[in-house]
Amino acid sequence: MGKVLLETRGLSNHFGKICTADNLDLTIEERVLTSIIGPNGAGKSTLINLLTGYLPVQAGRIFFQGKEITRLPVHKRVRQGICRSFQIVNVFPQLSVSRNVMIPILALTGRSWRPFANIASEKDAHGEMEAILARVGLSAERDTLANALSHGDQRLLEVGVALAARPTLLFLDEPTAGMNPVERSRLLEDIRRLSREGRTTFVVVEHDMDVVFALSERIIVLHRGVVIGDGPPEEIRNDKTVKEVYLGEDVSDLFRYDEGDETK
Amino acid sequence: MKNKSLFAALILVFLAALVAMPHLSGRFTVYLAMRFMILGIFAVGYNLLLGQTGLLSFGHGAFYAAGAYGMGFFWLHLSPHPLLGIGAGVAAAAVLALLIGFFCVRHTEIYFAMLTLAFGMMVFSLIWNAREITGGDDGLVGIMRDPVTFFGLGKIPIGKDAQYYYLVLFFFVLSVWVAHRIRISPFGLVLSGIRENARRTEFAGVPVRNYRLAVFVLSGAFAGLAGALEAMLQSNARPFMAHWTHSADPVLVSLLGGLHSLTGPLAGSLLFVAMREIVQRFTENWMLWFGIVLLIIILGFRGGVVGVVQNLVLRRRAEGEG
Repeated sequence: MGKVLLETRGLSNHFGKICTADNLDLTIEERVLTSIIGPNGAGKSTLINLLTGYLPVQAGRIFFQGKEITRLPVHKRVRQGICRSFQIVNVFPQLSVSRNVMIPILALTGRSWRPFANIASEKDAHGEMEAILARVGLSAERDTLANALSHGDQRLLEVGVALAARPTLLFLDEPTAGMNPVERSRLLEDIRRLSREGRTTFVVVEHDMDVVFALSERIIVLHRGVVIGDGPPEEIRNDKTVKEVYLGEDVSDLFRYDEGDETK
Repeated sequence: MKNKSLFAALILVFLAALVAMPHLSGRFTVYLAMRFMILGIFAVGYNLLLGQTGLLSFGHGAFYAAGAYGMGFFWLHLSPHPLLGIGAGVAAAAVLALLIGFFCVRHTEIYFAMLTLAFGMMVFSLIWNAREITGGDDGLVGIMRDPVTFFGLGKIPIGKDAQYYYLVLFFFVLSVWVAHRIRISPFGLVLSGIRENARRTEFAGVPVRNYRLAVFVLSGAFAGLAGALEAMLQSNARPFMAHWTHSADPVLVSLLGGLHSLTGPLAGSLLFVAMREIVQRFTENWMLWFGIVLLIIILGFRGGVVGVVQNLVLRRRAEGEG
């Protein structure tokens, strides 16, 4: 077990009568590439929204690196090192790719409060921006407006903007949604590489089981706001409760397909 | 590159024309040029809020009035020094913008717009009703333009319009330059991030509300400067400066000229002042004709006058290359 990065105690959330987080006690460990899976409405997105401050916490507490962050607003959590990408593309559409990435860089280095500085002379920030564009493979598009990018490239930019906030813990909400297979495998390879570099711990929410089992070192299975499975991929693959509950059908076929796919 | 130097040349010609104006044209044109520059200061500052940050305020007349009355009170009770008076006007507007903005920036879109409208009309009623202090519907009258002194190191008279003109020109150039610096700064980039996607800007680690408040106060200070300059130009401060119809002026001017550039609100101000003067010679219904022009711009030319010109230049260049 690695060092605990984030911990929740009794985290709960209800939308009316629907329970999307029921007394969750979870830990996220440093450098362990973790996936969160579960059927639609299991509470995956809610969990991310609670942890990143997008939704206010109704009950329970959240600790990050030992410090309580339950009531911290979004921007302060980002400054502590928690960032996220979004399920729907959520970038700055009318700004160029490089400007998209510059915003978090300037904000986090505290250089964005200066109304009389010139962006053009921010050498350090430009260097960092170039490095991030190179990491997500968008260097050639630096002057393109974000809304003129292909969908796959917009998703890459989404990850780039999240990385630019220098996160210690990064939640990716369905990062490969709507990508073609080439873009998908490129992004997954990137995530794996970045995770090995060790600066950032990734937590990925995914629907695609191929992706989840190929990528993760640990899988958390949610169902109606409750954790019904938590462990390394092999364990989850053979877990009976998970098989029964997940999608409410026999998913052994799905998992078998995945095994076959891996051996190719 | 070619376009850039052409643009710089155009700015120089425009500046030279402004500098030479009092020597070449009549008093009325000089007066109109001052009206244009004062509206330009108001609109350029306002557009930091609307065009850059994407916040629509209907209450900036209140800050304009704060500038005018702040200047007037300072002149009346403390000192007749014009620069100190203008400083007092700007400070009064900034403080009022801080107070009002504190409540408004917690909301966005229609709620923000309606809150600013409500606060603006409250300020208008206060000025209107506090007759003993503000002169009520008469306003503060008889504000004189004393010479600008530099603490015994000489003085510049600004009593005549042709003299005062250069003080207005100085603040006009200063305001445009400051607005330009803000637009190209990291601060300005974060503001456009807030316009494009406020939620994402929070996840970039930006305390969005503080930035909104900062730009609200900044644009309020610009409005205050414009108000103080107008108070000196007209020798009075009137309650209708705070009225919501006056708050709408920078919105209309920005739409007319184009929201997404610095030149947009300036071109809009110039057209606004010139059109009103010309149209009013022929008809009483100036607002009807202005409405028609605005309608055409909004329906057909979203980028405003500046957007149309930019498109023409781009097309011309494309044809030249093609």
